[in-house]
Parts: sequence; structure tokens; C-alpha cells
Amino acid sequence: MFLRRLVIRALTMLAVLVAVQILVVVSLGATGYSDRMLQAVIGEQLRGMRPGLAETIRDPDELEAALAAQRIELEQAYGLDRPWYARIPSMVMRVFRLDLGEAHTLRSFSGSNRVADIVLERIPNTIILLTTAMAITAVVGIAVGTRLAGRAGSRIDRAVSYGSAVSYALPAWWVGILLILVLAFRFPIFPSGGMYSAPPPPAGLPRFFDLLHHAALPVLTLVLASLGPYIYVVRTMTITIAQGDHVLAARAKGIPERTISRRHVLRVAAPPIVTGLILGLAGTLGGSILVETVFGWQGMGRLYYEAIAGTPDEMVIVALTFMFTLLYVGARMILEVLYVLLDPRVEAGERAEAVR
Amino acid sequence: MSGSAAGPPPGKRPLRKLIRGLRASAPGRVGLVLLAFLVVTAVAVLIIYPRDFASAYWSNPAHWADNPRSVPPAWARLVYRPGALRHRIISSTEPTEREETARAHFSRWDFPVDYQAAEPPTSIVVTLREVTFAARPPIVTATLVRPDGGEVRLFREVISGARPGESAPYVRHAEEPFRHVARGDGAAGESLAGHYEAAYGVALDSARLRDAFEALAFGHVVEGDLEPLHGEYTLRLEAMLAGEEDAVTEARLVVGGSVFGVMGTDAWGRDLALGLLYGLPIALAIGLATSTVSTLLGTALGLVSGYTGGRTDLVIQRAADIVANIPVLPLLIFLVFIGGSRLWLILAVLVAFSWPGLTIMVRTMVLQLRHGPEVEAAVSLGASRGRIIAYHVFPHTASYVFAQLVFFAPSAVLAEAGLSFLGLGDPRIPTWGQILEHGFRTGAVFLGYWWWVIPPGLLIVLTAVTFMLLALGMESIVDPRLKGARMWRS
Repeated sequence: MFLRRLVIRALTMLAVLVAVQILVVVSLGATGYSDRMLQAVIGEQLRGMRPGLAETIRDPDELEAALAAQRIELEQAYGLDRPWYARIPSMVMRVFRLDLGEAHTLRSFSGSNRVADIVLERIPNTIILLTTAMAITAVVGIAVGTRLAGRAGSRIDRAVSYGSAVSYALPAWWVGILLILVLAFRFPIFPSGGMYSAPPPPAGLPRFFDLLHHAALPVLTLVLASLGPYIYVVRTMTITIAQGDHVLAARAKGIPERTISRRHVLRVAAPPIVTGLILGLAGTLGGSILVETVFGWQGMGRLYYEAIAGTPDEMVIVALTFMFTLLYVGARMILEVLYVLLDPRVEAGERAEAVR
Repeated sequence: MSGSAAGPPPGKRPLRKLIRGLRASAPGRVGLVLLAFLVVTAVAVLIIYPRDFASAYWSNPAHWADNPRSVPPAWARLVYRPGALRHRIISSTEPTEREETARAHFSRWDFPVDYQAAEPPTSIVVTLREVTFAARPPIVTATLVRPDGGEVRLFREVISGARPGESAPYVRHAEEPFRHVARGDGAAGESLAGHYEAAYGVALDSARLRDAFEALAFGHVVEGDLEPLHGEYTLRLEAMLAGEEDAVTEARLVVGGSVFGVMGTDAWGRDLALGLLYGLPIALAIGLATSTVSTLLGTALGLVSGYTGGRTDLVIQRAADIVANIPVLPLLIFLVFIGGSRLWLILAVLVAFSWPGLTIMVRTMVLQLRHGPEVEAAVSLGASRGRIIAYHVFPHTASYVFAQLVFFAPSAVLAEAGLSFLGLGDPRIPTWGQILEHGFRTGAVFLGYWWWVIPPGLLIVLTAVTFMLLALGMESIVDPRLKGARMWRS
């Protein structure tokens, strides 16, 4: 049964991935971007061929004619002779392989201008930021949320409820700006941006601590923005379960309150608490795009900003949109597996659905 | 309890019930007061602001030419910049005094300037707009009268005369105002030097006059040192007009300071207070428009899905499952980037991604109602499907739906702000997010220009919190399951 939930989730996620792909490809095709992109790819290839052809063909006119013939051949190969909607499947595959040609102005750290290189090297940086922030949110959220549930209705509980409403209304990136103003500008405790000092300290521990120092503010920002709603979700789910019949029955049997809380409430609340993380995932992901931008953190989110500002790099944006969807789907599946692992009961799926 | 998905007991007037419930809860009351305040302010802004504020004023650098760049609000003097001089712009369309002599008419303007700051002005600029004359061009003279009795002649200019082929009346400086900057003007320097020579016996060289003109014009010599001279100054502007109909439409004096207005200025010299106020009706419109349309869409699909069942239900539910699981911000960035920065497109994309949560919830409620006694009775009485949905199904879901409406609003405001911050905001419609983006892009954050980046964010938060409080206030009436609703944010 719980396998069934996983399979359904996996299928949904696959459908999400395909739907996003199609949406992206259709928008590109309908607005003429895909034509322009393929033309650019062909242009690059022709430029690559020219020196080779020029060695065998001396006459300039003949060379041009040969290149023109090559162009027509390539256009056919890439399907440019057909309308854009006929190319949807091949474009989908192209996006899937990140085979999106070269960027206009952006370069990878090593100087490559291939879209795939530029985007792929940023992934680890985004994942570091995202996982650290989510792990801290989860630990603090569960610790605080479950404690609050035991004091539902108290003054501190009400205060935290208001706090989480405000936290939900806080744009993470603006919190980041405030933190820079206070902790980097007014009191220069943390660096205001980047990932390493310039010049970077020697590899090993010093560099690691330098990274931590630079990561402190962005991580704190993401945690501050997602913690409020998460505490509230944990608290509310714990309260709901604590009011369940099985807890009443346990109490009637005279089982000590501590045991009830540990075995009958927290254990049962674990899967829905994971659900809370799942619900917050998209928000944290979106938040990280903007927070990376604010702090100049060299991840995929910052790359979005760089690809939009100045000379727009369309294909980098396509690649990023796909990679972020992939990242979301991946993180989501990890959490789904975690959910199933935490929930050995057969009726797990149905229950969780009811709570969500 | 969340177990009974039928929700609240049926009410004939769900909206009235909801408002009554709101007034009964503390967050609801605070939310209502805040909302009323925001709405009244927004309406006032819509009435007072010119229709073309965004294009003709806000995005027009010429309009802000007289303002200082990137300076904090005037009240910063009370907090941390006690000696700062408030930037002053005094303008008048009506002369203080008119005089007629046999030879000419004189229009005189007296601009009083009470100078008490520790720092000298950054500039002294006199501006004239739209000068009209019939025959001989007017002659304009500006004199700074100091508290120590000294008079410094800033300039004496003859407005450019008739060009060949042009016929009277001649209009000058209608588009581009006549603008005189005192610093660097040779004649003004000479006049000031003459006053210092006569009053203090101090000779000023031309380099000093060029570098410290304002400090000298608003200062005096005490024991050999230049100190600010506090007191009442008057800038006297006199236009000698030859003809009966000749006129200067507007005269203006700018005394450059280092603090400005209620909220300070940005790097263009724009008055941030004006931009922040203008953002309010836009933010409310974004929130309300998006939430209304997504709520309508979500409810309609939920009702259809739940009541019709079968294949329609399956298709809608699968679609909802997929859309609900798409991470919104990356796609929002992509679609707005490809489709162009249009506000309507941003809102349309937000709507397209926000309906599923409500659809799934409404469908669950409808499924339970569909086999309830009320619907069965209506069916047996021969009521049409539309009537049943409208009178026997929808009212039961209504308060939940209204709560969702409020709940969607902050997310839309936050999403638009985030998108604007990435540089994808609609350039024709200035929003808080765009003010923040401009500040961030020009380095305001790293230069510590707090007045530029804190207020717009606070307003975004205030607007979002208002809707959050309303949603929180409705929660007790509606259903605790509200928490599970899909949220997007940025």
C-alpha cells in the first residue's frame, strides 16, 4: 500500500516534469525563440566547418555555395524546415539533455560558454544552500512546534502563531537585504555577499570556514523565512493527532503522559511533519532563487538574475527553469521516500491525504 | 473538526457571517482595521495622483532634476544627522510684488530661506519656466540678501530675443526651464567676493569661490575661520518686463540639502514617498485581482469536478495534481521572461498556478454534499443541476471559498514583488518590488541607503500581513484545513 503512494507520487512528479518541459518548449516555439536558438546553433557549426572547407575549396564563391548547401542540410537535420510544433518532441529531448547551444555573454567559471557547463557547475552551490537551510528549518521547526503543541492556547503559543503569519508574509529576499544592512553594513560581522573571500583562503579547513562564514547570512535568511509557517504546521498537526481517539484510549489505560507524547503522538505525527516540509519545499526553492541573488551566492538562482540582467541569455533561462523543476522533483521524491519510511502503517497514504 | 468535510453549517449569507466572525476574533479585527486604512489610502492616491504619473513623472528623470540624489528623509535629522540641511524647493507662479513704472513692469519674487543647519547648502539653483513677451525680451536679476545685510548678485540675464521669422508673442523655456546654477558663475563669484572684501576685509580667490561657493554664500568669517551664518536669507528675483502681457509663469529656488522630504530620494532624485504611495493601489489590485480570479477558477473547477464526476472529474483532478506540484517561481520567471514584462501576464501566470488547492478542497466538500439529504431532496423535487449547485452545494462551501480569496492575496503580492526584484517587473507600472530592485541594482544595500530599501519591503509585508490576519481571523469560522492549502511565495 505504501509502495502505491510512492508510485503515484513518482508518476505525478514525472508528469510534472513532462508538463513543464512541454510548457517551456511550446512557449519557446510559439514565440519564435526555438527557431532563433536553432539558427544560432547552426551558425556556430557552420563557423566551425569554414576553416576545414576553406582548405579544400579555394574559390570563395564555391566556398560560400558549399556552406549554403551545408546550412540547408543542417536546417533539415534540425527540423527548421518544419513548423515549430512538429519539433516539440526533439526540443523536449534537447532541453532534457541541456543541449541548448552556447550562451551569449555568460561564461562558466572555467570560461566555457556552453549552456550546460554554465548551469551544471552551479547546481552543487544551490544544493548546499538549500539542504542546509531545510535541515535547520526541520530540526528547529520540529523541536519548537511539538513543544508548542503541548501548550496550545498559551500566550507563547499565540505569539508564535502570529509570528508565523508574519513570517509567511516576509519576502525572504527582503529579509536578506535587512540582514546585509544590519550584520554586514552597520555591524560588519558577516560578508555581504559571495561565497569566498578574495583571495580565497588555502584549500581545506580555512576555506571551509570561509564558506561557512559566507553562507551564514543566506542560510539564516532562508531559515527565518520558512521557519514560521513550518513551526505552525508542526504544531497544528501535533495538536490534531494529540486529540485522536488512540491518545484518549492510551490515557484511559493510564499510560504515563511522557510515553503517550513520545509513542502515541510524536511517532504518529512524524509523517505529517514530513508533509509540512513537502509543502514548504516549493517556497524555499523559490526563496533560494531570490536569496542567492541578494547575496551573490554563485548558485543557479543567482544565474537567473545574471541571465535576465544585461544581455538576456534565453537558453540559460530555459536550462535553469528545467533544472529547478528537476531539483524540486528530486527533493520531493526524497521527502516522499522519507515519509514512507517513517510511516509503516498500511493506511498511511489515506491518512496523510486526509491531514493534508 | 476537520473530519466533517461539509464545513460550516449552511448559511444563507456566508459573506455576512464571515465578516461577523472576523469582527469577533482579534486578528480579524486588526486585519479589518489595517485593510480599511490601506484601502482608504489607496483610493486617495488614485484620486490625487495624475493619471499619467508613471510615465510622465516617475519614469521621467527631468521631473526630478531639482532633487538631491540618494539622500535620507528629513526626519533623519532628529535621529542621527542633526546638522543636516533639509533640501528645499520653493516655487511660485504668482510674484510677491508687482510694480509699474513709465518704462517697464517689474515682477518680484521674495523667497525666504531660514538657514540654521551646521552644513552649507550643496547647491543654489534658480529656475524660471515659460517666459512670454511681446516685443523686448525680459531681463531677470537674482540677488541673495544675507542676514548680515550683504547683497550678492547671483545673475542678471536677458532672455533670448526674437528669432528671424518668429512672430509675437514669444515663448521661451516652456519645455526646458531656464536654469541658473550659482556655483561656478563668474559674476556671482565676483559679487560675493566684493561683499567679503567690504564686510570682513577678506580677499577670496577664484578657486575658493568655485569650490566653496555655497559655504561662503551662507557663511561668514569669525576670527579668520569660515563659519555658517545662521538666520533669515531672502532670494530676491526680479523680472523687468517691457510689455503689458509679458510674464514669467513660474519661478523656483532650490537650496540643495542632504536630507529630503518624508521618505528621502533614490539615485535619480525621485521622491520615494510618492513612489511608495503609488505602489499601494497597485499592490492591492495585484492581490485582489489575482485572488479573485484564482478563487473563481478554483471554485468553478472544484464544483464541476465534484458534481459531474466521471471522466471530467478525473481529468480535472489529474491536472490539479500536476499543476499543484509545479514549483511556481522558476516557471513564472521563464514565462514572464519569454512573454515580456507585462503586469497582466504576471497575474495570469499566477492565476494559472494557484487554482488547484481550492479545486481539490471544494471537490472533496462537494462529494460529501452530493449524497447528503439536502441535495437528494432537491433532486427528488426535480431541481436542475445548475440550481442544485448554486443553491444547495455552493453555499456550503462559500465561507471556505471566501477565506481562500483572502488567503491567495498575500502570495500574489509577494510573487509580484519577487519577480520585480529579479528585474522582470512591468516597467510601465512602478511597484514596491521595482523600487527595491532599483535600489539593489544600484548598490543602495551595500551603501547603507536604508530609506530606499526598508520602507518598500515594510509596505509589502504590511499588505501581506493584513491579508494574513484576515485569513487567520476567518480560520476559526471556516475550517482548520485551511492550513493545508497550497501557498506560493517568493
